[in-house]
Amino acid sequence: MTAPRSILVTGATGLIGRRVVVSLLRRTDAPVVVLVRDPARWDGIARGLGLDATRVTAMRGDVTRPLRWDATAPSQHVGVPSLIVHSAGDIIFSRSLAEARQVNVEGTRNIVELARTFPSARLVHVSSAFAVGRRTGLITERDDAGGAGWVNTYEQSKHEAEMLVRSSGLEYMIARPSTVVCDDARGTVTQVNAVHRALRLYHAGLASMMPGTEDTPVDVIPADWLADAIARLSLTETCAGRTIHLCAGDGALPLGTLLDRTYALWARDTAWRRRGISRPSLSDLPTYELFERSVELVGDARIKRITRSLSHFVPQLAFPKRFDTAGARELLGEDAPPVSAYWDCMLEWLLRSNWSAALPEAA
Amino acid sequence: MTSIGAIRYEFPAGTQSVRELAAAGLLESSAETLESLGFAQIRVACEESPYALALRASERLLQESGIDRESIGLLVYGGAPGGLAFAPARALASAASDTVSAARFRYPSTRLQYDLGLERAAVIAVDQLACTTLFGAVRVARALCIAEGIDRALCVSTDMYPPLAGREALFNCTADAACAVLVEREGQRNRIVAARTVTKGYYWDASAMRDEIVASYFPTALHVINETVREAGWSVADVDWVIPHNVSRRSWEILMGLVALPRARLWADNIARDGHTLAGDNFINLRDALDAGAITPGERLLLFSYGYGAHWTALAVEA
Repeated sequence: MTAPRSILVTGATGLIGRRVVVSLLRRTDAPVVVLVRDPARWDGIARGLGLDATRVTAMRGDVTRPLRWDATAPSQHVGVPSLIVHSAGDIIFSRSLAEARQVNVEGTRNIVELARTFPSARLVHVSSAFAVGRRTGLITERDDAGGAGWVNTYEQSKHEAEMLVRSSGLEYMIARPSTVVCDDARGTVTQVNAVHRALRLYHAGLASMMPGTEDTPVDVIPADWLADAIARLSLTETCAGRTIHLCAGDGALPLGTLLDRTYALWARDTAWRRRGISRPSLSDLPTYELFERSVELVGDARIKRITRSLSHFVPQLAFPKRFDTAGARELLGEDAPPVSAYWDCMLEWLLRSNWSAALPEAA
Repeated sequence: MTSIGAIRYEFPAGTQSVRELAAAGLLESSAETLESLGFAQIRVACEESPYALALRASERLLQESGIDRESIGLLVYGGAPGGLAFAPARALASAASDTVSAARFRYPSTRLQYDLGLERAAVIAVDQLACTTLFGAVRVARALCIAEGIDRALCVSTDMYPPLAGREALFNCTADAACAVLVEREGQRNRIVAARTVTKGYYWDASAMRDEIVASYFPTALHVINETVREAGWSVADVDWVIPHNVSRRSWEILMGLVALPRARLWADNIARDGHTLAGDNFINLRDALDAGAITPGERLLLFSYGYGAHWTALAVEA
């Protein structure tokens, strides 16, 4: 493996990006430049992570705007990057398509344009396993997604960004992570997302329906494994032109099993158990959509808000898919930790933290 | 096996369309919304009292069925309590004071026994089950018929709203009615194969727990239906007819989807015509479905109802 001259990382202030930086620094001596909108914020994160300030340089920039490598801004010893890890993304599922495209598509376009100004740079694009949208069945790492539609604008914009990278003429690798549900196998959650918000609603007995079947695979991963995998693949030159699933794959849990485990764990709390809150009903998509329309027609504001918050991603469960992870296994020599290894720990963390004080009921 | 030997219901003389109710300020939602949920009109009492309707339904049931009144060993009454039962609907609000005076001991259940000439019938009243009252009565009757060898039990439920009371409950248009059901210890038609009820006391304060109740309705309904079908030794696909309580058509379409039964197996003709009675939609509908010839002997029927707040209940009946 040829050591990169330097590595440019986008999205470094995010849950995954910051861990990618840590892993890259551990695995290579190459200097790292992080492209951030707010260098002061990054400095705080870097201090919190205990990063060696001599090895990481912050470059102010916004991926939604045209980018230019400013040789004078970063430290003088940092050379032009030969590796770009593009992990910046807008992961809010409820965005309008235009909003989602702004970061996920136009942001990628700007990174591609920037990469073109670097001699022989390689682009590692962090996409999403769910860029395949409504596709069902076995999703191979050769699938280039599209064709079946999407559940939300995040999925669609991620697909469009993949297409842009593939047609860029650059040397690229596309990493397709599954949904991140916790920091690590201990189940720690430092960044709440749609999954945690949904779990809270089901725990509170304010949500009751879910599309899918007992057998629908639920594929999720922890952040530390994902970040380390991205860093390792980024430094592996044999990945060129490949799409790699960073997913639980065969370690996914069937939805029915996941719900049974979840409600059994919650039922350990006598006070919760006495409420008699039922496991959600699993339905086909038309029935779920009929329920959504009914809530829109007659529901109170709170129920409407809750149902809308779920509608941005829960319908993905109606499109059961299993992600082939052969490529990741070949390149990394391991699989993602199975969901069963940490799901309960994550639930316990959420309960212990009282769902985190800042976690709104529905966003 | 216990069976439903006869059903007779009585509606008051008046009807009001959903639009009339909306114009009178008796609905929370718009008339258009309730129409889109399947409601067109409801039965509305004015001069009738809950008791008068209950008596009429019971008397006609006894006349129609031609049974010996001495064979009835149990009367189970549910619905309007003493004090409210005897006032005409237009005066129900002012009659409420009777429930906190000695007049509260003027019980409609015992008067019904006397007026119907059911001297051999022990009397029990059931209360606080909302729209599952008649299910509760039938369940008690079924159990006592088996436990005490009672040949026949008459179950009667009656309820009305005062004139200015709101008519909408959780997006359903509520109506006035009385319904009488004859439960027999041995019978060949409409045999009760299974009965299940789930009560979740957590939801006792229904108005405060409205969102939670909306959320809990479907999964609990599905659970009760599946358990009832399982207890009957059927599979869900075996159910020939779902005889509903007259809540919104939309909610039934969702529930039929969850249960995985085609909507064509829902006997929903009365939702638009009668609205949702507290007295016993399912039994009113069963009677009408039988009269209409929709049900043939041997068919498997599922009756499901929900009592606002905390009660989910179902019966499996073999026609």
